[in-house]
Amino acid sequence: MGRPGAVIEVDRTTPPTLVHFGEGVRLERLPLGSRIVYPPDPLPPIPHPERAIRRALAHPLEDDPLRELLRPGMRLTIAFDDLSLPLPPMARPDVRQLVLEEIVEMAAEAGVEDLELIVANSLHRRMTEDEIRHVVGDRIFQTFYPERLRNHDAEDPDQNVLVGTTAAGEEVTLNRRAAESDLLVYVNLTLVPMDGGHKSLATGLGSYRSVRAHHTVSTLLHSRSYMNPPDSALHASCIRQGQLIEDAVRCFHVETSVNTHCFPAIANFMQKRETDWSAADQAAFLAVKQLTDIAPPDVKRAAFHSMRAPYGLTAVHAGQVDEVHERTLEAVRRQLLVQVDGQTDVVTIGVPYLGPYNVDACMNPVLVVCMGLGYLFNLYRGRPVVRQGGVAILFHPCRYEFDAVQHPSYIDFYDEVLADTRDPAEIEARYERCFAEDPWYRQLYRTSYAYHGVHPFYAWYWAAHALQHLGDVIVVGGQREVVHHLGFKCASTLQDALEMAEQTVGRYPSITHLHLPPLLLADVQ
Amino acid sequence: MRDLEAVRRGWRWGGVRPASWPEAAQPVPERESSLEWARAEPVRSLRWLVQRCLSVPFVRAMTHLRVEGQEWVQSLDGPVIVASNHTSHADTPILLAALPERARERTVVGAAADYWYRRPWLGRLVSLWLNTFPFARTGGAQGVLHSSSHLLRSGWHLLLYPEGTRSPDGRMGAFLPGVGHLAREARVPVIPAHVRGTRRVMPKGRGVPLPGPVDVRFGRPLRPGPEETSRAFSQRVERAVRELGQGSREPEVIGSWIERWRATGERRRRVARS
Repeated sequence: MGRPGAVIEVDRTTPPTLVHFGEGVRLERLPLGSRIVYPPDPLPPIPHPERAIRRALAHPLEDDPLRELLRPGMRLTIAFDDLSLPLPPMARPDVRQLVLEEIVEMAAEAGVEDLELIVANSLHRRMTEDEIRHVVGDRIFQTFYPERLRNHDAEDPDQNVLVGTTAAGEEVTLNRRAAESDLLVYVNLTLVPMDGGHKSLATGLGSYRSVRAHHTVSTLLHSRSYMNPPDSALHASCIRQGQLIEDAVRCFHVETSVNTHCFPAIANFMQKRETDWSAADQAAFLAVKQLTDIAPPDVKRAAFHSMRAPYGLTAVHAGQVDEVHERTLEAVRRQLLVQVDGQTDVVTIGVPYLGPYNVDACMNPVLVVCMGLGYLFNLYRGRPVVRQGGVAILFHPCRYEFDAVQHPSYIDFYDEVLADTRDPAEIEARYERCFAEDPWYRQLYRTSYAYHGVHPFYAWYWAAHALQHLGDVIVVGGQREVVHHLGFKCASTLQDALEMAEQTVGRYPSITHLHLPPLLLADVQ
Repeated sequence: MRDLEAVRRGWRWGGVRPASWPEAAQPVPERESSLEWARAEPVRSLRWLVQRCLSVPFVRAMTHLRVEGQEWVQSLDGPVIVASNHTSHADTPILLAALPERARERTVVGAAADYWYRRPWLGRLVSLWLNTFPFARTGGAQGVLHSSSHLLRSGWHLLLYPEGTRSPDGRMGAFLPGVGHLAREARVPVIPAHVRGTRRVMPKGRGVPLPGPVDVRFGRPLRPGPEETSRAFSQRVERAVRELGQGSREPEVIGSWIERWRATGERRRRVARS
């Protein structure tokens, strides 16, 4: 059994702290008395995942066994999460592959001829052939691709149908094939509590028309945080939409969760607490640090993005969505939750090389904000780790670099929209519709591997809560003009950043460092 | 230094080349061996052994090969040209495996001279294994057509890919007129052939084949009409190959997904047992 998460106080014997710095790492000495929040050790994985999956499908929660739902002549659709989960991508075999193979085997035994698989990529970019093959495995890929295994296209007018409108006036659209199926099975992988549940279907197989109902500045400002669904307006909206879908289509959910074993053996030092580092870990750190200091960005990117995580399956549940998701969230919280006493004046966060939206691409400045102030800042339950009006210090090189294939609308968002205003509400009112309906972005989303035109807006909205909550944001090591363009302050070192933070929060601030990844969920008392 | 910078920036070595890149300028090996040895004993017997014991069983195990229209090949006594679509390096061993054994022994395969014969050892290897001969895709067409026609007149069947290259996306390209010219000059019939599924087995760019179902169809032999030009005849052959490919609604799929799923499962279990 691994150790639970911990909050330690920095004293003279505390070794320097590992901080992620984009496609690199650095060691920082935090001031004496600072707190470091460490995630729990990875939970032991289920020893026989295939057996656990078969058991979950045979004994679902509040539903009939899947085998009994399958019959010849029916129309069956299986949807599954896209490449934004898990991060880094999982080493083969992916958990989704194991689940899909069991379901497909059952469908073959039942003689279900009309079966299709859909990647629930929503407004994310399409997955490439190799990425789909990696997730579903060779056997499913060989059998179904490309006729019966494809990406969801949220912009195809013929392939999306309006399911209805919720009581709160939210439109709900769904992939036509899924909507017209006799049974829709969703295979999910939940890494953090914001994933899964009703959000899977409502967002994954939705279109801009339905996603815009909850991906708004107002919803995100009323989600404290969206990593804790009961306190999230975003999830409340997704639940309303999901219930409408469940009324229209017979759904069967399979949810899985994995532990936090997110680095391969070669980068094991990133997985450990610094006090546990062996000489080999120190040597590995030095090697990685020296190489990342001298290597060109492309080489570093290729090396980092080739890492595959040896995640282990910790839970698998099947059946009706509410009961299944509750059990999944329990497993996720068991893995991520760390008790933290009280808020802090200053929080420091190292932003790693990878977020949900830059698999095999560089992390552009907008995504740095999304990752640092969106996802990582919101990894709390109850109250944020940093107090209202406090300061967040992010570590990231924050260069002006964009992937023109994956993020074309991000470039225009950064150059045109952020040059005009950084206020999320104003951006939403003035620019969102224009980007969302731009025919060129639409074309790139549908035929290339680009994120939807509206995606940079959502990335910026993710940070709306943090921008409202924080008194200041300082980026250590960032490119000065880029950081200023984002509306933040730039510092060369942590010491400089702390000096600057004191101007906002006063002398001798309390400091808390979130040691991630691996991910954690701070339960702030 | 400025010149050095200009030169450094002016040329890009490696990487993706523009579509208009002058591939025609690639040197074709100057002295082409006649490769007579590949069609003489004891190499013929050795090749028969390799194909019979290794190549054909491997292809059948990997692809669950289904062949339609073999009778069109068997019904002909004299030499023929087999003209097929081309999506993968796997096409040649699969087509050879799909041919009746007697025809396979007497089939010579046209292989791109600028690709397979740039390195002598590779050229010799494919000539030994698949009975290939260098077929220049660019320049010197007359010489190649003469040597091909000589092979046909000597009684050898000829397997050609008139598209000239592998399709990058599975869609069939236009046929070059050489096949029509050759059929007219040697006065032999052309058997259209369509291979379906090899793009999954080994798509362009992949070096290792993966298991997957493959379907080969041979069509009715075609002969050039007395007034028909080489180009018109090539287009007729192209249409025939396309028609063979339109046998099912899902062009790359054979049978239902359940059949494919079970087939791959059996294969996987066999691999696991071995």
